[in-house]
Amino acid sequence: MLKTILKRILQSIPTLFIVITITFVLTRMIPGNPALTMLGPQAPKESVEQLEQELGLDKSKGEQYIMYLKQILSGDFGRSYSYNQSVVELIMERVPNTLVITLTSLFIALILGMIVGIVSAVRQYSILDYIFMVLALIGVSMPIFWMGLMLVLLFSVNLGWLPAMGMGDPANGMWDVLSHMILPCFCLATIPMATFARITRSSMLEVVNSDSVKALRARGLKEGVVIWKHALKNALPPIVTVLGLQLATAFTGAILTESIFSWPGMGTMIVSAIDNRDYALIQGVVLFTAIVFVAINLIVDVVYTIINPKVNYESGNGGR
Amino acid sequence: MKKKLLTLVLAGAMVFSMAMSGCGSSNSQETDTQTEKESDKETVENVEAVIDVPDEVTKGGELNIALVSSPKNLDPVKYTGTYESQIIYQVCDTIVTYDMEMKEILPSLATEWTISDDGMVYTFTIRDDVYFQPGEYQDGRKMTAEDVAYSLNRSAQESALNRLDMLDHAEALDETHVQATLKAPSAVFLTALTNSGNVVVPKEEVEGWGDEFGNHLVGTGPYALEEFSLDQQAVLVKNENYFLGEPNLDKVVFKVITDQNQEVNALRTGEIDIATQLSGESVKLVAEDDSVNLLKIPGMQISYAYFNMVNGPTADPKVREALIMAVDYEELAAGVFQYGEGEAACLPLPKASWGYDESVEADVPSYDPEGAKKLLEEAGYGDGFTLNMYVTNENFRQKAATILQSYWKMIGVDLEINTVEWGTFSETGASGKADVFAMGWSWYPDPYFFLDKMFATSSIGTLGNGQGYSNAEVDQLLADALIETDQDKRAEIYHEALKLITDDDPGIFYGNPSECLGINPKVQDFHQRADGTIKLFTTEENVWVVQ
Repeated sequence: MLKTILKRILQSIPTLFIVITITFVLTRMIPGNPALTMLGPQAPKESVEQLEQELGLDKSKGEQYIMYLKQILSGDFGRSYSYNQSVVELIMERVPNTLVITLTSLFIALILGMIVGIVSAVRQYSILDYIFMVLALIGVSMPIFWMGLMLVLLFSVNLGWLPAMGMGDPANGMWDVLSHMILPCFCLATIPMATFARITRSSMLEVVNSDSVKALRARGLKEGVVIWKHALKNALPPIVTVLGLQLATAFTGAILTESIFSWPGMGTMIVSAIDNRDYALIQGVVLFTAIVFVAINLIVDVVYTIINPKVNYESGNGGR
Repeated sequence: MKKKLLTLVLAGAMVFSMAMSGCGSSNSQETDTQTEKESDKETVENVEAVIDVPDEVTKGGELNIALVSSPKNLDPVKYTGTYESQIIYQVCDTIVTYDMEMKEILPSLATEWTISDDGMVYTFTIRDDVYFQPGEYQDGRKMTAEDVAYSLNRSAQESALNRLDMLDHAEALDETHVQATLKAPSAVFLTALTNSGNVVVPKEEVEGWGDEFGNHLVGTGPYALEEFSLDQQAVLVKNENYFLGEPNLDKVVFKVITDQNQEVNALRTGEIDIATQLSGESVKLVAEDDSVNLLKIPGMQISYAYFNMVNGPTADPKVREALIMAVDYEELAAGVFQYGEGEAACLPLPKASWGYDESVEADVPSYDPEGAKKLLEEAGYGDGFTLNMYVTNENFRQKAATILQSYWKMIGVDLEINTVEWGTFSETGASGKADVFAMGWSWYPDPYFFLDKMFATSSIGTLGNGQGYSNAEVDQLLADALIETDQDKRAEIYHEALKLITDDDPGIFYGNPSECLGINPKVQDFHQRADGTIKLFTTEENVWVVQ
């Protein structure tokens, strides 16, 4: 087991190297001069040249790339010019803000989505199944920015129950924090909830109709035990895969939702970094995201082997 | 396929709206247009919110102001954004300041000043009753002439945007006098001193915090910075020791709300009291809401599309004249400022600037599509041609671009519109890599900040003069106006320059956008400024909220 993990970590090094290179090339390919972008329309030529020098943009792309690689290898992610702060500090500041809403919404989505999926699978082709699946379809297809604004219009402007924007302050009590979270979390939960519901349903359907479950029923086990204990466990792997992917995106923030609700998370920071052509910050955030994805994929694979011992990566014939 | 369909639908919608606004047909009757415009205006009904305002000023309370983008570095010499200044103006003071009408320069930290005959040396008398807000590295000590000299020198040498580049050096003569020596005579020195980049800050704090000073700004202003969270908010508390007296508010919070719909929503729920920089439909929403009010004044800004003067067909003066003649400015502005958030214009200077000259308006070629076609034929472009245009992804700029496209189509010119975000736009614009650019320009009321920055040969290569405009006569006039210190004489010189520039047909200066903001009626003694600057406590005002 330990050997596998070590091997996987080593394998991820080339992946990260490729990510670093691609990000470097892509950021340089976006048209727009960072110095000019940051200094705004009224910038005199001298200021632009001065800032270019300060940011090392007057050097050739090759030199810049080598400089950047050296920096990364020495563990330095650089400093964001537009935020006037180190990239690591910025990410560490933003990730908790983002996780508060993304994990909460993911938790809600997982629980509700699975329940809906199981019920739909067990009562396949029932009215309930149809209603749930139509709702799931609506959930997947609803544009978040539109739904966010509609929710604000209803709950904040018309009813006055919830705040329209911002993050609560723990100093003002628990309710302040929670009330600011409700709308963004609800918005964020819809799409994954629908995804979980559909995945759970199809995975469960496959299992429920399998011979092993028929055998369990034949042995006279109660239907509840069959479904919730045996069938669900066998239906889990696809759900865990999706959960892993969703979890990884949770770290990178929810660009639309954060922008709408003025939530100071990773999403708003990425948008601002790209708008400002803040190369150091864009590169730092992408690299961070890559690391998170690699790490979570690894964890998911480990969890796989635990919930389904048949999956054996060491013997080389993973899967079934 | 999808894209094609979308284009078709959009084109259809555009043609329809053209027909509605009456600018599609060249023969539209004057009376028709008149009624159309009036009905346009009727769609935005301003419902005024009224509350009981007590006779006595109520002190205390909190004021929440929304900013549409986050301030980042609050260090006056390092900031490069637009929104930092709103906070710096509350936390710090400048030596002199504009009055709320932005017509004359008033004393602030300096009580009076003299200018040497050669216009090179300015001597300021500084107040002796001003104290810094207490900070990490000083406990609220008295501000002296040394601090003023220090801050000005720092800005002259380090300012990221060269906000005080005309200053050679400043020195304190004694406790209350500062002498500033310029590199060359510059009539805009006092105007530059009103900039939030040139405020007075204490040396101990600047040196103590180093790079972090931008997060811990300290000054002499009416409100002190208590907390600053990037992309979130800046919390200011009142400075009891302010030299003009006690500020009326206990707390001022600047909140970052990047989504404009949400800005309006937050204003309606009362989470913010002032919504800045409203545009488009938000203006209508705020105007029609009976719980909040809309404030609107002509802004110190212009909207325009400028032509490449060096390359492509637009390098030909006849082509430029024809392109201008093909456009009905009034209709264009009516289409762009659909909700009354701006007015029609025709010159490259806002009407609110003292350099504006109405008599030059007549020099702008008037609307005449047939004449335009003839001109194009004369220029050898009878078969038409294609122009490419760059425009930022703001809604109203895109509207302008599509309307121009339809006008020019009628004289056989195809306009290819490239919608890009700011980073791409600024680079292409500054390097003049397109035929037409649609953008806006806003700055001080001094014509220097428009005419010099947009038309001086020395400005080529910056976004202001990315078009490559160069006219030796204009350059000479602009240089003369910079040396002359008498404002009336300067205005005359600028009138002349404005006329020459207009005769060269460098662009279509169709609009004067308004500064629009939404405000909760409980906010009192608040005065809007043409450049969008918010000031909460000056000799002219001390904002308070009804409790």
